[in-house]
Amino acid sequence: MLQAVKNQFNVTVKTIKYGLMREMINKTSFIMNVSFMILNNASFIIQWIVIYSLKDNVGGYSFNQVLLLWAIAASTYGFSHFIFKKSYSLSDIITNGKLDSFLVQPKNVLISAITSDIEVSALGDILYGYIVLAISGLTLTRFLLFTLFSITGAIVITDIAVLLGSLSFWFGKSDMIADTGNSLMTNFATYPDGIFKGLARILLLTIIPLGLTTYFPVWIITTFNLKLTLIVIISTIIITLFTFIIFYKGLRRYSSTNLMISKI
Amino acid sequence: MSVISVKNLSKSFKVKQKEKGFIGSVKSIIQPNYKVIKAVNDISFQVDEGEVVAFIGPNGAGKSTTIKMLTGILYPDSGHIDVLGIDPTKARKKLAYEIGTVFGQKEQLWMHLTAYDNFKFFSAIYDIPEKEAEKRIEELSKLFDLEKFINTPVRNLSLGQRVRCEFVASLIHKPKVLFLDEPTIGLDPVVKENVRKLIKKMNKEYHTTIFLTSHDISDIEKLCKRVIIINDGTIVMDDSMSNLKYHYMDKKIIEVKLKSKINFNNVKGIKVLKEKENNSRLEINTNETNLTTILKFINPENIIDINISNIPLEEIISAIYRKE
Repeated sequence: MLQAVKNQFNVTVKTIKYGLMREMINKTSFIMNVSFMILNNASFIIQWIVIYSLKDNVGGYSFNQVLLLWAIAASTYGFSHFIFKKSYSLSDIITNGKLDSFLVQPKNVLISAITSDIEVSALGDILYGYIVLAISGLTLTRFLLFTLFSITGAIVITDIAVLLGSLSFWFGKSDMIADTGNSLMTNFATYPDGIFKGLARILLLTIIPLGLTTYFPVWIITTFNLKLTLIVIISTIIITLFTFIIFYKGLRRYSSTNLMISKI
Repeated sequence: MSVISVKNLSKSFKVKQKEKGFIGSVKSIIQPNYKVIKAVNDISFQVDEGEVVAFIGPNGAGKSTTIKMLTGILYPDSGHIDVLGIDPTKARKKLAYEIGTVFGQKEQLWMHLTAYDNFKFFSAIYDIPEKEAEKRIEELSKLFDLEKFINTPVRNLSLGQRVRCEFVASLIHKPKVLFLDEPTIGLDPVVKENVRKLIKKMNKEYHTTIFLTSHDISDIEKLCKRVIIINDGTIVMDDSMSNLKYHYMDKKIIEVKLKSKINFNNVKGIKVLKEKENNSRLEINTNETNLTTILKFINPENIIDINISNIPLEEIISAIYRKE
C-alpha cells in the first residue's frame, strides 16, 4: 500500500517535471505567464487599499487579514491549478473518452487523470500567495500553517471540481455546471466572510466549503486554534474520500468513445 | 493454456435519440428519448497463450467495446472475463501490469517529450527500476530500430515512427498479452508492412499473445492464424484462417481476355461480375460446374490471357458480414 502511494507520487512528480520541461522550452512565455499572473493578482489589492483608506474594518477583517485572505485564496487556487489542472476539465475527459489511456495503466485513474498536465501560470498564484503572506507578517508558524492550509484548501477545491466534473458520468456534458461551480468558489474566496449574512453565509460555510479553504485558515493563522485546525484537516479527508467514492461510482458508467485522441 | 477466457459477455449503451432540426432539439430536452443498443450480446470465446487472433467485424459490430472490457476500460453488464487469471472488473491495476495496449486512434505518448523521455515516463508508470528501464529501452530501440530518432520530440516524428514508439511504450513492461485496436490505421503501405513485421517479431521473440482488431484484411491475412468475426454484437464465426479460406474454396474467380466475345449470362455455375468489350471477370461455383467444362466452353483457342484465382479474403469476410 505504502509502496503504491510512493509509486503514484513518483509518477505525479514526473508528470509535473515533464510539464515544466515543456513550458520551459519557450522561456519568455514561461516567465511572462508567471509574472503576469502575479501582477494580475496584485492589481486587486489596490482596490482594497482604497477601501481601507476610507474604512478601518470590512466584514470584521482588518487590512492585514484581507491580505492574508488574498494570500491563502491565491495560493490555494495556485496549488490546485498547478498540480491538478485537469480536474477542471474532467467533464471533457469523461465525455470524450480520454480516460481510456489512464484506465490501462496500473495507477489510480483519478489521480493520474487530474495530474496529467500543469497550468504554469498558477505558479504565479502560488508565488503571489507567499509574497503577500510575507507582506502581512512572516513567522515560521505562519509560514507552516499557511502552507498546510494552502494544500488542504487546494485539495478541497480540487475535490469540488472533481465532483462537478463527475456529473458527466450521469448527465453527459456538464462542463458549464462545473465551470459555474468552480467560478463560485473563486469569486467568493476573496471577500471577508463577515459581509455575507443569513443563507449566503450558511451556504459558503457548508455546500460551497469556503470556510475550509479560506475563512477558517485566515482565522487560525491570525489566532491559532487547534480544534478548528483539526476540523479543517478531518473535513478535507472526508470530502476527499467522498469524492473518490463518487468518481469510482461514476466510472462504472463510463462509456468511452472512438474519437481520435492525442496528448498535447 | 488459455490466457483470455470470455463467458456470456454483454454490454449495452443507452443512446439519446433526437428528431431532426431545432424543434427536435427542444423536444429532446422536454421529453428525452433513449434507445438501448446492445453493443456486445452474450459472447464467449477463449484465446490460448502465444496465439495471434484477429477479432474483426464491420463498424459498430462491438469489437472496440469487447477490447475495452477485456482491458478494464469498460464494465460489462453481465458475463465473466478472465485475462491471465485476472478479472479486469475487480483487479484493473493488477491486470494493467500484465497487458499492453495500442489503440490506433488514441495516442498515449506525450507529444512535446522525446521518445526516450516518454519511455522513461512509462517505465515509472509500471514501477520499473531505473537500470532495468534503461536496459529495456535499449533492447526495444534496437528491435524497433528507433536509435536514429529516440531523442527527437514525438511531435516531430513521422506517423510511422510514432506508431513504432507507441508499440515500444506498450511493451516496456514486458506484457504477456497485447491488445491492438486498429494499429495500422492511417499508415502508408510500407509502414504497415513494417508494423506487421514487428508484431510477428514480438509474437516470436517474446511469445506475446496478440489480440488484434483491424479493418485491413492484409493485417489479418499476414498475421493471424485464427479469426473471430463479430457482427451486431454476436460472434458469427470463430475459426482458423485456413478453414475460413477452405469454406469458400468452392468459388473461383476467372479473369479472361478473349479474341471474340462470348455470352456468359445464363451459363450454369457462372456469375458475371464485370464485363467490358472482350474482357470478363467471372465467379465460378465449382459445386455446379468445374473449371475443365468452363475452359472448354470458352475454347482455349479464343483466349488471349487468363487468370484463375481464389476469392479474395476481403470478399469472403464481406460476405460473412453480409450474412451471405
